[in-house]
Amino acid sequence: MSEPLPLIELLLPLAVVVPIVAATLPLALGLRYDDVGWSVAAVTSVGLVGIAGAVAAEVYTAGRFAHELGGYQPPVGIELVADELSAAVLVLIAVVAAATLAFSRVAGPRGNAFYSGYLLLTGGLSGVVLTGDLFNLFVFLEIVGLTTYALIAADRSGASAYASLKYLMLGTVGASLYLVGVGYVFLATGSLNMLDLQTQIVEQASYTDPLIQAGFAFIVAGFALKIALFPVHTWQPDAYQRAPDSVTVFVAALVSTAGAYALIRVTYTVFTVDFLLANDAITTVLLVVTGVSILAGSVLAAMQSDLKRMFAYSSVAQFGMIAAAVALANEWALLGGIVHLLGHGLLKFGLFLAAGLLALGYGARRVEDLASLARRAPYTAGSLAVLGLALVGIPPSIGFLGKWYIAFGAVQESGAGGGAVGIGIAAVIFISTLFTLAYVARLIEQLYFAGVGLDDGHGEGVADTDEHGGNVVADGGQAADHDADDPISPKSGAPTTLGVPDRVPTGAFVVLLLATATAVALGFAGATFADLFDPFLSEVFA
Amino acid sequence: MNGLVTAVPPFLVLAVAAALVLALPRAVGHALGAAATAFVFVQAWLAPDGTHLATEFLGFSVVFLNVDPFSAMMGLVIGFLATAAVIYAYASDAPRWLTSFALLYVASTVGTVYAGDWLSVIFFWELMAVTSTLLVWQYGGEAVRAGYRYAIVHGIGGTILLGAVVVHFVEVGSFLFTAETGIHATAAVLAAIGIGINCGFIFLHTWIPDTYPRPHIAASVFLSVFTTKTAVYVMYRAFPEGGWWLAYLGGFMAVYGVFFALLQYDPRRLLSYHIQAQVGYMLAGIGLATLGGEWGQFAVAGGFAHLFNNVLYKSLLFMVCGVVIYRTGSNYIKEMGGLWTVMPVAFLIYLVGAASITAVPGFNGYVSKGLVLDATEQISGNYPLLFGYDLLWWLLMIGAVGTFMSFIKLGYYIFFHGEAKPEHRGLADAKPLQTVGMSMAAVACVVLGVVYTAQLDLLPFADVANDLSNPYSYYLDPLQFGHIEKAAVLMTAGFVGFFSLKRPLGWLAHHMRDVDAVLHPAAFYAGRGAVWGVTELWAAVDRLTMRTAGATMRTAMNPRAALAEAGIDAEIRTGIGRSVLILTLAAAVALFALLLG
Repeated sequence: MSEPLPLIELLLPLAVVVPIVAATLPLALGLRYDDVGWSVAAVTSVGLVGIAGAVAAEVYTAGRFAHELGGYQPPVGIELVADELSAAVLVLIAVVAAATLAFSRVAGPRGNAFYSGYLLLTGGLSGVVLTGDLFNLFVFLEIVGLTTYALIAADRSGASAYASLKYLMLGTVGASLYLVGVGYVFLATGSLNMLDLQTQIVEQASYTDPLIQAGFAFIVAGFALKIALFPVHTWQPDAYQRAPDSVTVFVAALVSTAGAYALIRVTYTVFTVDFLLANDAITTVLLVVTGVSILAGSVLAAMQSDLKRMFAYSSVAQFGMIAAAVALANEWALLGGIVHLLGHGLLKFGLFLAAGLLALGYGARRVEDLASLARRAPYTAGSLAVLGLALVGIPPSIGFLGKWYIAFGAVQESGAGGGAVGIGIAAVIFISTLFTLAYVARLIEQLYFAGVGLDDGHGEGVADTDEHGGNVVADGGQAADHDADDPISPKSGAPTTLGVPDRVPTGAFVVLLLATATAVALGFAGATFADLFDPFLSEVFA
Repeated sequence: MNGLVTAVPPFLVLAVAAALVLALPRAVGHALGAAATAFVFVQAWLAPDGTHLATEFLGFSVVFLNVDPFSAMMGLVIGFLATAAVIYAYASDAPRWLTSFALLYVASTVGTVYAGDWLSVIFFWELMAVTSTLLVWQYGGEAVRAGYRYAIVHGIGGTILLGAVVVHFVEVGSFLFTAETGIHATAAVLAAIGIGINCGFIFLHTWIPDTYPRPHIAASVFLSVFTTKTAVYVMYRAFPEGGWWLAYLGGFMAVYGVFFALLQYDPRRLLSYHIQAQVGYMLAGIGLATLGGEWGQFAVAGGFAHLFNNVLYKSLLFMVCGVVIYRTGSNYIKEMGGLWTVMPVAFLIYLVGAASITAVPGFNGYVSKGLVLDATEQISGNYPLLFGYDLLWWLLMIGAVGTFMSFIKLGYYIFFHGEAKPEHRGLADAKPLQTVGMSMAAVACVVLGVVYTAQLDLLPFADVANDLSNPYSYYLDPLQFGHIEKAAVLMTAGFVGFFSLKRPLGWLAHHMRDVDAVLHPAAFYAGRGAVWGVTELWAAVDRLTMRTAGATMRTAMNPRAALAEAGIDAEIRTGIGRSVLILTLAAAVALFALLLG
């Protein structure tokens, strides 16, 4: 590995510091200028995209590199590290953050305070994926958590305030559990640097040392809350549903993703795969919990009639799969977990964005509001359908790749003597896919086929009206005052886009189409993903 | 020369000819068809014993040209008769499609006969079913429904045989005949039923009299000889050891077939029942294969000789009855009569065919039926009945008397029975080329009957047959029965039987139905019942599913209402306090699992 130029090394602190410092600007400049927040956020996130791109280019050509903060040598000093895994998540964060701005510019919330929070959250997320220090990870997780609480309540409604408070309480307890775990590990080893801990755990303690085991248990319990695994997911549906739409888009795509990234990082870089192999009980419990999470999330999602809540529960299931991939301790499964982590972020970004656009243009928030909406908003509805099918795992799509690798790894693990649990996970993924298909099919059915009478009198509503007598008009259609049989009407003053009938803002609409196309295109990138993450995987499974 | 003879798959030649018949002018096409069938004859004559054209088919090793005394004999007679039949078809105004289907049918028959492995057997076996069904359907009219029943029967039979072949492969690991003698024991029952349907086992035979009288007269000629005889041949391949079950099945088939033949007034339907009876003699011979040492081999030789001869005289009879039907336009022998003056050629040829099938000395059937009867006489002792003869022997004897009776009846009603009807006077006789086709078979019948050693030389186990048989033996001592005397007794019994029983048989013919009176409605209502049952069952499952799905959806969409209906008053959404409790519990579980696990 060649020594990277100091300039390249500096990108790592910049990725964290730039958004955090910029977060002060909307408030400071806001004293003199109104509505300066969006511009600051836009400039910063475009810059962050550039930084993330440069980091990724360096990592994928020259390999892993690190930066010691303040010149203090690790393990005492704190270092920021970019490797194949963190670079990929960093790119996702930067891109999604920038893309969200296209939507929030129109959908709000407005005001400089929101953009300060947004930038702070972005910086926190960058910190989570780049830090190489366990305690520093806690700090960034708390930055992410606190800003998320604030953003969820950004529209100042009662329901969102309650959701925010619930998340605050639970998130704090969860973070505390994590901190307790880190404390135990620190007691046992005297170190907080991740790479250093990898060796110190073996030298100072052992994989079966109760302190280490307890530390891992607390850390995993804390992460389980952060990534919203069943049964500690209870904050998540409320938070996603009640938050302002643009906040949901951002938070749903990235916050739990950062938590799951941290789970992978801590499990494989700090505790290592040997720890998992030495502690069968914890992997078994984890697999059972994640299996239940996959099933429960899918079933609960299928039960929902609120769009955002449906996608929220769907995340419980998808993160169950990612966590299962971590617990399987199998190279293919972990590759699948990473791919699904990125893919889920992209898909949920797209799905919440589509839902947000429909809410913005038409006020559609519930499944039944979507009836025949494809006729009014064909492109948005089409994107929603394609993204939904990608979430089901219909190839070619990134959703298929992730699930496929995880299930493949699970079966392989079972075949290699891992017992029935692996097969069980594969079966659970299959069942969950069926449930996912059930609720996605419900959306598609509503969008395209739901019983809205057509003008030529072929609809089923016509007969009903006949029985009631009255308002049948001469051409067999419905009288205009009867709106249950028409797709939901656009809100007055809804934005328009040149060239399409959809009532959507141009920027966000283009972003949605790009996200959809990317989700499908990445379905062909299975081999590319395997190549990209091969250095990371072969290192942790060495 | 030998290399050239064995390098060409005969079924390919026939298939090409079948295509050419469609493409070329009718006369040229038929000439080529006859040439192709003649090629089969020549090839069977020249090809040396051994396995040729061994290759890979569907990934398994197979043999497409397996020549031994059995298959060579089959090839010889199939090629000969098919040539005669193509000439006859040309003269009988057979459409080109008919001849084309017939050639394809002969092709698949030849493929079955020369197959050296069970995979090729079942492949060509199924092709035979398809091509023969097409041959029946080609005629249209009431042949369509009969052909549909025919297709169902053979579809079932073919599937059962396919099952047998699959079981055989699983047990043996190879399809090749060389890997295992006969079919493996675990597949025996499936094979017996599957092949037995094509043989016309009792109760599985109704498709024969149902189908064969209905298509074009030329089609009947082809149909009457290939499917059932190939089935006998494949039966021997599957069960070279034979067994009493097979021999007795043959004995009862002889009696059963003859009895119902006696009741028929449609000439081709009468002949169809005789197919079952004649197959009975063949199976009786094959069944005795290993039950009497040298006499067992003798019995097999007899069975195959009867097969060989049956192909000749049975098709001859179908041809001559076809000529009568062709000229009179009637399928009912009571509408005929006195035709011997109108169609003397046909009458003469009928006499040859009838004499052959009834085993009159000097005709080929006499030789081969004698072989089978001799064998049953020698291999005996399991069910002694009258005069020290076995039940099997008596069954075959009764069959022989019945055969005489029914052919006396057939000839009597067609050619005698008063004066020729006014509308039949002045009808032309057989056409020249029809006569050529019939004469080929008729001459063969006579030659093989007179020069019987020529017949025996063609057979498998020719040495044994030549050593032991003496068909023209007779004794001057009236208490000793030679073959000639036996034939004379049978013929007398036949004449006496027919003319004394003519009226009762006529009465019985109107009151006695074959099992198809039960089978056809049973199959029809079983089919209809199955369709109704499946539909209703599916509808019931559908209703149940939709109700369950509906109830589940309602409960899932309104969980609180559902709980309230069930009388449970609980808050199901988790608040902050309960969530923290759950989180704490989760951490505790994780701790316990790790520390105590």
